[in-house]
Amino acid sequence: MRSLTQYRGIVRVAAIAAAAALLLAACAPGGNSEAGPAPTRQASTGVGSEPVTLRLLVNSGVDVPFYTALGELFHAKYDNVTVKVENQDYATLTTNIAHILAGSNVPDLVRVSQLGNLIEDHLLTGLDPYAKAYGWDQWPQSQFASTRVGPDGKQRGTGSLYAAGAGFGLTGVYYNKALAQRIGMTRPPATVAEFEQLLAKAKDAGLQPIMINGKDGGSVYPLQNLVMSSAGDAQAVQDWNYAKPGASIDNAATVKAATSLQRWGQAGYLPADVNDIDQTRAPAEFVKGNGVFFPSGNWQAPALDKAGAGQFGFFLFPSGETGGPSYAMTAPANLGIPAKSPHADVAAAFLDFVQTNSQARQDTVTLGGLVPAGPSEAAAPTAPEGSAVAATVGSFQELLKSNGLVGFMADATASIHVNSLIPQTQLLLAGKTTPEAFAAKVQSDYERDLGQ
Amino acid sequence: MASISGPPVVRQASPTADPASVPAATQPVVPRRTAPRTRRWSALLWVAPAFGMYAVFVLFPMAQSVQYSFYDWDGIGPATPAGLDNWKAIFTRPELLHSVEHAFILVIFYTVLPVGLGLVAASLIRELRPGAFSTTARVVLFIPQVLPLVAAGIAWTWMYSSDGLVNQVLRAVGLEQHTRAWLSDFTFALPAVGVIGVWVMLGFCTVLLLAGIGKIDPALYEAARLDGAGRISEFFAVTLPGLRRELVVCTTFTMIAALASFDVIQISTQGGPGYQTMVPGVEIYRLTFLQQHVGQASALAVFLAALVLVVIWPIQRLGREK
Repeated sequence: MRSLTQYRGIVRVAAIAAAAALLLAACAPGGNSEAGPAPTRQASTGVGSEPVTLRLLVNSGVDVPFYTALGELFHAKYDNVTVKVENQDYATLTTNIAHILAGSNVPDLVRVSQLGNLIEDHLLTGLDPYAKAYGWDQWPQSQFASTRVGPDGKQRGTGSLYAAGAGFGLTGVYYNKALAQRIGMTRPPATVAEFEQLLAKAKDAGLQPIMINGKDGGSVYPLQNLVMSSAGDAQAVQDWNYAKPGASIDNAATVKAATSLQRWGQAGYLPADVNDIDQTRAPAEFVKGNGVFFPSGNWQAPALDKAGAGQFGFFLFPSGETGGPSYAMTAPANLGIPAKSPHADVAAAFLDFVQTNSQARQDTVTLGGLVPAGPSEAAAPTAPEGSAVAATVGSFQELLKSNGLVGFMADATASIHVNSLIPQTQLLLAGKTTPEAFAAKVQSDYERDLGQ
Repeated sequence: MASISGPPVVRQASPTADPASVPAATQPVVPRRTAPRTRRWSALLWVAPAFGMYAVFVLFPMAQSVQYSFYDWDGIGPATPAGLDNWKAIFTRPELLHSVEHAFILVIFYTVLPVGLGLVAASLIRELRPGAFSTTARVVLFIPQVLPLVAAGIAWTWMYSSDGLVNQVLRAVGLEQHTRAWLSDFTFALPAVGVIGVWVMLGFCTVLLLAGIGKIDPALYEAARLDGAGRISEFFAVTLPGLRRELVVCTTFTMIAALASFDVIQISTQGGPGYQTMVPGVEIYRLTFLQQHVGQASALAVFLAALVLVVIWPIQRLGREK
């Protein structure tokens, strides 16, 4: 019996021929996406009277009871519409969203964590006609800035609206009221210098001044706040977040902020094992009393209130100088309408409903842990007096009016957070990079990400 | 021409030229010419279904990856030719090169240590009388292979944390000053991840080597002992040479696991602290799913595959000799 190896020549030729044929057949990958603007739809504000099943695809976890509740409220108002909530875990949805929206089984509304290339690839419906029809264009516009995308599909903060959300995340600083009293804090610090004095007092009192998660990016929050307060202005950061041409954070404000953060680490204001603490451990340590201050976001507030009602307060990160502006990072919990959605009008009606209906807005706070925005005259949802939730809701309303809401630097590009900000902040806190090198490296990674 | 090399028929007819064709040489000329040809094509026919599957599920995606590596593509929209840019980036971006470097450091932990310790463990277990203890030893060593790596990664993360088991043990024996958050320590993060690899691979190597030892003729051990060989010389004279094939399998398997490692790192450190534990597997994942740079990810993936082949090839050759 002859073995196949004796026909090696033939087999080899066949394999090469097959591979070549396959290559030729494949030609250039992708490429059937037509250039030019996305098709615009005729916007209509009604939900009609035909029975409709509105399919929502959201993240697993808190999202599910929250959007289910919103769906029931919507159904109570429009009984021909049934809202069906489907979910995928965050990482799965983030990695698969483009393929889901390009496929044949497309939901009517989808939770969009990052716009990525969805606009460039024409996968989301432009919402401008709906914004006009529902009067969203009369509301405070800073709430929509992060989901406006320019004609190049990259620059944000300008151009057409592509997503809107029921509520917003908001960052600031939580404090342990009992420990804050022990170090003599009678009111939230008005300036960064005052804040640093409190940190020094806490250190002297043998307390852990700041609890923070450096493993997965919590330390990037105070860094961004320090950048904005040392600049006294958030425009440069906002331009950077929105990929405005020429935007740069390789400047004096960033170097100063990185210097401060590094000093905080060296002075022992941050935990010794800061780079080992993740986002589950940090709040748990803070609740245990390990840490006077905990810079984080409003998504922590419901859990903190549950752990100790009235024990934890919240203030906005202090400004650079007395009477200067306060800034906070914010991001909406965005929903987008896929371009292939068969019920775009109903989906838009749902988006309008969740932003304006008072019960829906209340649910956004209590179930979603987020602050609703919407029209400026809409009543703010209620929360128990003295609770951390009430403090975050109050701060948000204040910033919405003063235009103090800024996007997260972490969202500037798809990978700037994991590939640059987190590792570079870790290097900074470990003393393995200088503030100058930090600013330069983050900027060069950013430019590479944007293909500049 | 013909006078120099001679017609192929003549050469094949010579029994000394091709020992495999000796029986054919006794057959009449005509059938000898046609029979191999029909057999040749029928052989290909038999191979066709398997080759078809292989082509569709292995060769085609591989060719596609190579093709993508020359494009700038987000996976959905139109692709633009990128020439060699994606390939240049592998050698010019320090993070990508460092990730490859880390993969090779992991080889020490995934391959060298498990194979070495596996040899020792297998020789020791061989000497044990088959019974409860040797079975237990085998099971304990093999358990990491059964556990999902993600679950193991989480458990190890807990053990390595500031107040985790590792530090508790150090404190208990008075080594307080050596405690640290292992996975976020710039010096120890990569070795700490490596130890997880030792733990996972050791059982696999031990069980495979133990099976190999079982196949070695006991007479060889007896002969060695009669010749006055001690345990050590017995190991080098009988066990080690007898395990050549198993060693090749162990080394190949664990090296691929080291160079293409992804899950343990993704779970335990995400490449941190800084870029200290970044490996190509995690980079490829991020490039594809986070940044949607399918072209760059393909280039790095093809590079990684080629690297694995280059490293594995000499080991395979070593196994085939003799």
